[in-house]
Amino acid sequence: MKRYLAATALALCLATAARAEGELNIYAWAESISPALIEKFSKENDVKVNVDSFTSNEDLLTKLQAGSSGYDIATPSQHFLRVMIDEGLIENFGASKLQAYQNIEERWRNQWWDETQDFSIPLAYGTAGFVVNTAEYKGPTDSFKYFFEPEGELKGKIAMLSYPDEVIGAAQLYLGVPFCSEDQAEMKKVLDLLMAQKPSVAVYSSDNIASRLASGEVSAHFWWDGDSLKARVAGSPVSLAMTKEGLVGWMDSLAIPKGAPNRDNAVKFIEFISTVENATEQMNFYAHSSPMKVMQEKVVYTKDKAPELYPDVPITFSRTCSAAAQDLVTRVWTQLLQ
Amino acid sequence: MTESALHAAAGGTDRSPRVRFWRDLSFWGLLPSWLLMGLALILPIAIIAAVSLATRGAHGGFTWDFNLAGYRQILFNEGWTGELEFTPQYLLIVARTFALAGATTLICLVFAVPVAYFISRQPPGRKAALVYLVTLPFWVSMILRVYAWMIILGKDGTLPRFLETLGLPAGMSFMFNDGATLTAMVYTAMPLMVLPVFASIEKLDGTLIEASHDLYGNRWVTLRRVILPLTAPGLVAGAILVFVPALGAVLEPSLMGGGKQMMMGTLIQLQFGGGRNWPFGAAIAMTLMALVLVFLLVMALRAARREDVR
Repeated sequence: MKRYLAATALALCLATAARAEGELNIYAWAESISPALIEKFSKENDVKVNVDSFTSNEDLLTKLQAGSSGYDIATPSQHFLRVMIDEGLIENFGASKLQAYQNIEERWRNQWWDETQDFSIPLAYGTAGFVVNTAEYKGPTDSFKYFFEPEGELKGKIAMLSYPDEVIGAAQLYLGVPFCSEDQAEMKKVLDLLMAQKPSVAVYSSDNIASRLASGEVSAHFWWDGDSLKARVAGSPVSLAMTKEGLVGWMDSLAIPKGAPNRDNAVKFIEFISTVENATEQMNFYAHSSPMKVMQEKVVYTKDKAPELYPDVPITFSRTCSAAAQDLVTRVWTQLLQ
Repeated sequence: MTESALHAAAGGTDRSPRVRFWRDLSFWGLLPSWLLMGLALILPIAIIAAVSLATRGAHGGFTWDFNLAGYRQILFNEGWTGELEFTPQYLLIVARTFALAGATTLICLVFAVPVAYFISRQPPGRKAALVYLVTLPFWVSMILRVYAWMIILGKDGTLPRFLETLGLPAGMSFMFNDGATLTAMVYTAMPLMVLPVFASIEKLDGTLIEASHDLYGNRWVTLRRVILPLTAPGLVAGAILVFVPALGAVLEPSLMGGGKQMMMGTLIQLQFGGGRNWPFGAAIAMTLMALVLVFLLVMALRAARREDVR
């Protein structure tokens, strides 16, 4: 009997796999796309959706450069999207002619990272800064000074990301050094700041940030606005620092890697997730701001419920650096961790 | 198969069709192993070697213009004032990696020898059970085992809680330092040391130890002149199995050590990721491989010399 059951189950699996219209392989930021939407799309279109996740733009770029990643959709941030377009890693799928394009809020259309808006449809945007555990740290948070030059209780309780992207940007905001600086003397100042901070840093890691911060293992962590919001709503004592020097801005977009095996499904999915109704659902799941038109009355994270998403300090979006500037960033990071 | 055919197949002087048949068969029979070696070992290494000589792309990737910039960068880099200068930073990372791998190997040896000796002196049934227990951690994913250590050593973890009950101050954390890295590395590598050491200690003839005692050898002399030389092959095999993977460790330094000090593994990772300098990353990988080869060669030569002396 058991054997028949097993055989039937196996046959069913094979049958459903064979019956699905096709597949869709998504490579996105960890826990960034609403599972409910994925299930809905999968059912409506009879498509098997696989989602893999990354925790840094660098990981995504490396994977696409290595070739034949097999992914149909990727979600790079703006400064990496620009590199991917320039390097020919992204498919031109005529995004500006889709209905999805009409659903982009006007102020977010045709930005510098995709002027013709042929390569991408934006998905979410937000900021990066530092988040403190308010049970462990009661001091002021209105400046990056407390993060980069910590005193007292924050000493030894600081956590940075494991990659230089955005972290270096925040240090530059604090020092007044322009993003993507090619000036060695200016970047040396950034290195000196981070070197002086290093003895106070417990860990450089981009994984497991929520539990590390909530448990009090560290008291301040470099993090993103929506993640901080989600943790706070779930009951963790965390708060995003509104630093007067400003915050580092980012915007992730849906793009189709060159040679995607299921291009048609990818376009279908991009249209699907960009409808007003689904964009609202996606925003309510991801807890980051949406660059799409949404149903305002159904938005969960409104200004009074989610001050994290509506900062009143200036936001500077990360830029695509020249090779020379990128080299300086890497050199700072390597010397910092040597 | 007749004996003459076998002989001919091995020697290969006879040209009869029958012999050729057996020779062809052995070619086809061995083909899978050649394919495996070629596709899974030689080809990837050849690609890494080629990339290490290529020119980096502005945003990662590479172009096929051959030069030695990747290797040069290990020793010489542009300084903050712009000129090329000797940079010891990567050598420092190499030295640190070797020190950590060496310490891991040494600690594993110190713990594995008594454990293996103890297991080998048990009755057969219990012996099998103990060997099984040693291999048990392999059933769990390595990343889970490292996370388990994070829970033991971290804030409000098992160890700090235990120390608290002994009256020590609360809220201690043992994470994010070299000690934590070493703990996890020793833990993950330990079975790889215990098993070969056990295999060679088990074969050790107990009468030789008795003979040593009969000849007035005390315990120290017996250990040094009888037990250690006879079990040396197992110790060397264990040391290699632990030392070589430890050189490439990424998980433990980044999770347990807090990623504050680079190891060769994390340095290579950075070059393919944030550093966007694939040829340099490939050059470090080749250097690491060359160093491992030298290490194995030295081990092999020393083993050979020992054979000669005997």
